Amino acid sequence: MNKEELLTTASLALLELEEGEVDRLGEEIARMLDYFEMMTKLDVDGLEPTTHAFQKTNRLRADVLNNNNNNNINNAFNRNLIMENGNDVEDDFFVIPNVL
Amino acid sequence: MKDIDGWKSVLTDQDRAKKYREYVTGWEKKIGSLLEWKLPEAGKIKSSEGILASVPFAVKDNIAVEGFKLTCGSKILEYVKAPYTATGVANLQKTGALVMGKANLDEFGMGSSTDNSALQKTNNPYDTSRVAGGSSGGSAAAVAAGIVPFALGTDTGGSVRQPAGFCGVYGLKPTYGVVSRYGLTAYASSLEVCGVCARTVDTTRTVFHAIRGMDGMDQTTIDYDPVSPEVKTVGVLKVEEGSLSEEVAASYRVSKDRLNKLGYAVKEIEIPAMEYVVPAYYTIATAEASANLARFNGMRYGLSPIFAESPDDLMRYSRNMGFGEEVKTRILLGTFVLRSGFQDQYYVRAQKIRTLIRQELDEIFTDCDVIMLPVFPTAPFHHGQSELTSFQQKQADVYTCLANMTGSPGLAVPSTLEKGLPVGVQFMAPPCGEERLFTVAEALEKEFPAPRPAGYSEEWRA
Amino acid sequence: MSDTMVNDKYETFVGLEIHIHLLTESKMFCGCKANYGDEPNTNVCPVCLGYPGVLPTVNQKAMKMGYTVARALNCRLSRKTYFERKNYFYPDMPKNYQISQFQEPVGVEGFMEFEYNDEIKKIRIHDVHLEEDAGKMIHAGDMSLQDFNRAGYPLLEIVTEPDLKSGEETEAFLRAFRRMVRYLGVCDGNMDEGSMKCDANISINTPGAGLGTKVELKNMNSPRFVRRGLQYEAQRQAKALDEGVKLIQETRLWNENRDITESMRTKEMANDYRYFPEPDMPPFCPDDSFMADVEKEQVELPLARKHKIMRKYGISSEQAEFIHDEKVNADYFEQVMALGADAQAVYTWLSSDVQKELNLLNMTLTESPLSPERFSELLKLMDDGKISGKIAKQVLIDVFEEDRDPSAIVEEKGLSQISDPQAIGAVIEKVMAANEEVVKAIREGEQKQKGFLVGQIMKETGGRAAPALVQKILSEKLR
Ligand SMILES: [Mg+2]
Ligand SMILES: [Zn+2]
Repeated sequence: MNKEELLTTASLALLELEEGEVDRLGEEIARMLDYFEMMTKLDVDGLEPTTHAFQKTNRLRADVLNNNNNNNINNAFNRNLIMENGNDVEDDFFVIPNVL
Repeated sequence: MKDIDGWKSVLTDQDRAKKYREYVTGWEKKIGSLLEWKLPEAGKIKSSEGILASVPFAVKDNIAVEGFKLTCGSKILEYVKAPYTATGVANLQKTGALVMGKANLDEFGMGSSTDNSALQKTNNPYDTSRVAGGSSGGSAAAVAAGIVPFALGTDTGGSVRQPAGFCGVYGLKPTYGVVSRYGLTAYASSLEVCGVCARTVDTTRTVFHAIRGMDGMDQTTIDYDPVSPEVKTVGVLKVEEGSLSEEVAASYRVSKDRLNKLGYAVKEIEIPAMEYVVPAYYTIATAEASANLARFNGMRYGLSPIFAESPDDLMRYSRNMGFGEEVKTRILLGTFVLRSGFQDQYYVRAQKIRTLIRQELDEIFTDCDVIMLPVFPTAPFHHGQSELTSFQQKQADVYTCLANMTGSPGLAVPSTLEKGLPVGVQFMAPPCGEERLFTVAEALEKEFPAPRPAGYSEEWRA
Repeated sequence: MSDTMVNDKYETFVGLEIHIHLLTESKMFCGCKANYGDEPNTNVCPVCLGYPGVLPTVNQKAMKMGYTVARALNCRLSRKTYFERKNYFYPDMPKNYQISQFQEPVGVEGFMEFEYNDEIKKIRIHDVHLEEDAGKMIHAGDMSLQDFNRAGYPLLEIVTEPDLKSGEETEAFLRAFRRMVRYLGVCDGNMDEGSMKCDANISINTPGAGLGTKVELKNMNSPRFVRRGLQYEAQRQAKALDEGVKLIQETRLWNENRDITESMRTKEMANDYRYFPEPDMPPFCPDDSFMADVEKEQVELPLARKHKIMRKYGISSEQAEFIHDEKVNADYFEQVMALGADAQAVYTWLSSDVQKELNLLNMTLTESPLSPERFSELLKLMDDGKISGKIAKQVLIDVFEEDRDPSAIVEEKGLSQISDPQAIGAVIEKVMAANEEVVKAIREGEQKQKGFLVGQIMKETGGRAAPALVQKILSEKLR
């Protein structure tokens, strides 16, 4: 992967690499991609991709609210901690900078 | 008396609690296995009737426990507190067990040494100049040192089994979906599962049955439909000369002999697609990671720059400052293999290879009840990358990430001490074959119990 | 601005991406309340805030609604549908990927028919897919306030082929579409409240040359703005082509204050969504019972309903347009008709007096005290000559106010019509005796004054005298 590809990839991943990182990470990524090339040796025709660990299907959640006591599932949470984790919270809004 | 029962009064008896606290403190100075720990006061423990009443345990710090931090070993989450509790932990709490601390790990579970933790160094209890393995290094080290009877870890490519092997304890990676992933910070969603590090097979089994179960919060959980626990034939993976270090090769031979001595039919097996396991594994794991780690952007929680001019800047700075280089490398790699024009060549191909690997394993399990294979090609190595580079460490995941690719269960079993360092061996079973793993491990344990590091003590236990 | 100015010279192609908020209790992937207008960040949980460790769980009702709409749009329904991750960074999107559908949406290759300029048009549907909404940012100077109540709201996206030919036609289509989703009960269709959103892509080209350079239009939050945005854009593109200016593929925003579209100046970054199957949720394979449920959700769609009403009850297109606009009203109309009524009368009353009352009380027909039975009874009282039209209007108001049957009101208040000629004759004589001057004038030829007497007679009888009888007897007595 050339540097340009690396930078495009980084921008898709919202990572802005410093110059040193471009070299170090670029080298490691190139090594891994070379290694991945090995996969092309294998004939994969006729193989279905396995996208899910086990293809169990038809798991749907009943359309009920979290605080519904009928659904005996572990969905409790602590809202105070959520607000405490916010870096900048005002009137229960999370505040972030805006481009004018 | 079961080993675990000795732990039930450790926190409730004032005297023992005091000694226990000193014991934990003493070990922690040496090994740094926990990022955070707090013992509940004896009086504050609600009396519990559960099978694990008042038993303390540690939880890898990428698993949510309400009120505890959830750092994932990363700067980006260093000060984040979990607002909820993982299902596996909640299930354990129902049996009376108490979370006493959060265990160190490689950042977001990415690594085999715990050296990738951005927050703390964890040492191997057998030799503090060496790593405890990873990524659940803190969990394994804490159990090995006797700080807790068991700890929860996560296993994406061997992250429970490899450190368990390095620390001389049992490390179970359950069948995918048998234990809920709700509360487990996702690294590679289709590969990982919440696992157990424990000192005995019995404890491993008890904890496994406590944490497992279908979960309404995780639609990938499956019904646990156990296969027969009986083991007659053990397939032993043929390992090529030079693939294992001298110590591990020697230990592997001993393990094979032990199987013979215990009367199992031993059968040598080969997995033709084995050489593709690691590249396919890393393709899938990093692809999924690139999306899973996109949520960390300093907006709703987590590290955020003091000054940013725009939302975009805020997200970018937060990610740049917050992630370590290994994490960035894997995010970039995963982003790349999913890009249009490259996806078929990497990601889709890897998913097809996963199918092939499954077919080969299914075939093997038609005439082997379990298979035995190494955990890791080397014994615990020294801190840093002088012995194994980051790339070599990834290649060395070959024996463990196999089970993650197939979804089947794997158990690391303490085998021998080589030059004073623990070496483990691994067993794999078909999906929902956990009991088979326990059968073999228990038979071995009877003759060859897990080792103990110097300084290990039980004198403060009942 | 009209479409024809462009249409004479160029062919216009419009395709839509319509997002509708599904009317579920909980969000798409978590158990938070799917509701607008609550206090900020109250309908949130670790799942919809994208906390580490959480997992999405598919809402069963949303899934069913997705299939219901796809079926109503004549799509090929997927026997194995699954979610994918659409990866891009956006401040409002907690996970920085949107869980959406790509390879296997709930339905593909459908079509929808609607009426435009008295013609039935057929618009092809590319696909129908489920996804989740993002949060909301409120801009406040150099800060933005984030509210994630909307994050994870169930969305259904309907993508059409570029088959629409003008802004006006697109507006008509959108209105028909809105009516359809309301008929199905899956969305309230309020574009101004954001529960239905529409992005359009538009290109123009010389006739026969196929699609031109596509421009994506956003930020049009009413069918009217969609029309105007598209009309403006078609004109703009036509002007550019006329002048030989090359069009660029871009995204433009409709500025409703300035009535123009404006280029969205964003950093030029090639988007690559890197879709891949969502590993956190298994595929969904609808079984026969699910499909049967979806079938049960199907209703007679607006267009068919309208034409049926026209045929069956002999009313005009405009009248049927009014009646079928809301399913509940069409249902109501047919219920009244089934109880025996005259279609024209029902229409007239519904569209004027009944509507007036509803507006006044800010009520819908179905929640009003005027049940089909009461309405039919009221019409019958009139038909049978028991009450006059004027009294009927009063009774209608009383039904709304008192929530009682019309017959009970008529009886209790003694409102029934006086049709006994002797009784009316007596009143007339009384009035004539009291107005001798007027009577004299009429008899001398001033017929205009007759109205005054009629008024007095009606006043005397509280408006209950049968008007025709009054006219007849009065004329006789004046002779
Ligand atoms: Mg969409
Ligand atoms: Zn939620």
